[in-house]
Amino acid sequence: MGILKNILTAVRGGASEVGESIVDANAVRILGQEIRDAQDAIGKAKQSLTGLKASEIKLKREINSLESDVASYESKAVQALDAGNEALAIEVAERIAEIENEAGEKSAEHSALSAQVNKINSMIRQREKVIQKNGRELEKIKTVEQLQKATSSMSTNFAATNASEHRVSKALERVKKKQANWEDRMEAGEWMEGEASGDDLDRKLKDAGIGANTSSGASSVLERLKKKSGQ
Amino acid sequence: MSLNELAFKLNAHLTAEDTRFDAVLAESGVLEVICSNNEEFPINIVKTDTQLLAITPLFDVNEVKPDKVNELNEELLFISPAIPLSAIGRQGNSYILFGAMALDTLFENIVHELEVQAENTVDVLQVIEPLLL
Repeated sequence: MGILKNILTAVRGGASEVGESIVDANAVRILGQEIRDAQDAIGKAKQSLTGLKASEIKLKREINSLESDVASYESKAVQALDAGNEALAIEVAERIAEIENEAGEKSAEHSALSAQVNKINSMIRQREKVIQKNGRELEKIKTVEQLQKATSSMSTNFAATNASEHRVSKALERVKKKQANWEDRMEAGEWMEGEASGDDLDRKLKDAGIGANTSSGASSVLERLKKKSGQ
Repeated sequence: MSLNELAFKLNAHLTAEDTRFDAVLAESGVLEVICSNNEEFPINIVKTDTQLLAITPLFDVNEVKPDKVNELNEELLFISPAIPLSAIGRQGNSYILFGAMALDTLFENIVHELEVQAENTVDVLQVIEPLLL
């Protein structure tokens, strides 16, 4: 919104020449700098994210392995108890407790890492929003700059032709005249086509022995003369 | 597609409605296109990072009857939604008709946009002609 307001102020203020700054150059520089900063931050965040994610995966694998050890020792402790060897069962139980403690520590570490990974992901998303938002703002400025470029040539033309009054009316008249010529040509083309197809139809009728007198040879002339002389 | 490529393709194209294009890429980087269905009002095409802008300069505010500027602005606001594919705006002192296309717009659709814009120009100017000098 800020940039659009700046653009309106600048354009209203007469900043319509090419090369003339649409908005405060400082504002453009800040937008560009923010985009670059966000891109840098994302680059760094992604790098550390890769390391963190690798640690997270490694920890998860270790936790799974410890949990599997616990399950295995539990089964062995039960077997020792079943065999009446309580001393061995106690030893196994102590081992289980050790492993569970280790797994607990690693789980806490894993949770902390996961939270950090989520935080970095959310930071990346926020930075990406900044890039997109600033990108759209810059696009507005570029659009107006390009519009200025596209209209500047015609402003010169207007200036050159403004001497003659009714420029638009005269131009419209010429367009209409050209369109009328084009329509006339189209009509002529259609007429020619009609003529061509008419000839074609007459030939078809003649071929079918319909309509035109088909016996216009010497014999028919002689017949007519005989009728005239009363023979 | 670069503006240079677009110019090349436009110059070799003939539409189903028999419209031809005369496209020249100016030194300023503006692609100037004259459509055969309206040779009096060229379309200027420029490119930003995300869009192609097709702009037809219509007239300067100095060409409007001095006491009719407000009426003209109002009429343009009213007719703008009814104009297919184009919008009306003002750039500096110049009134413009323009259309915006995404950079990946197909060539056939660009052609259609230009052909329609050239027709729209005549339609709009006919409506507001009585308000011009």
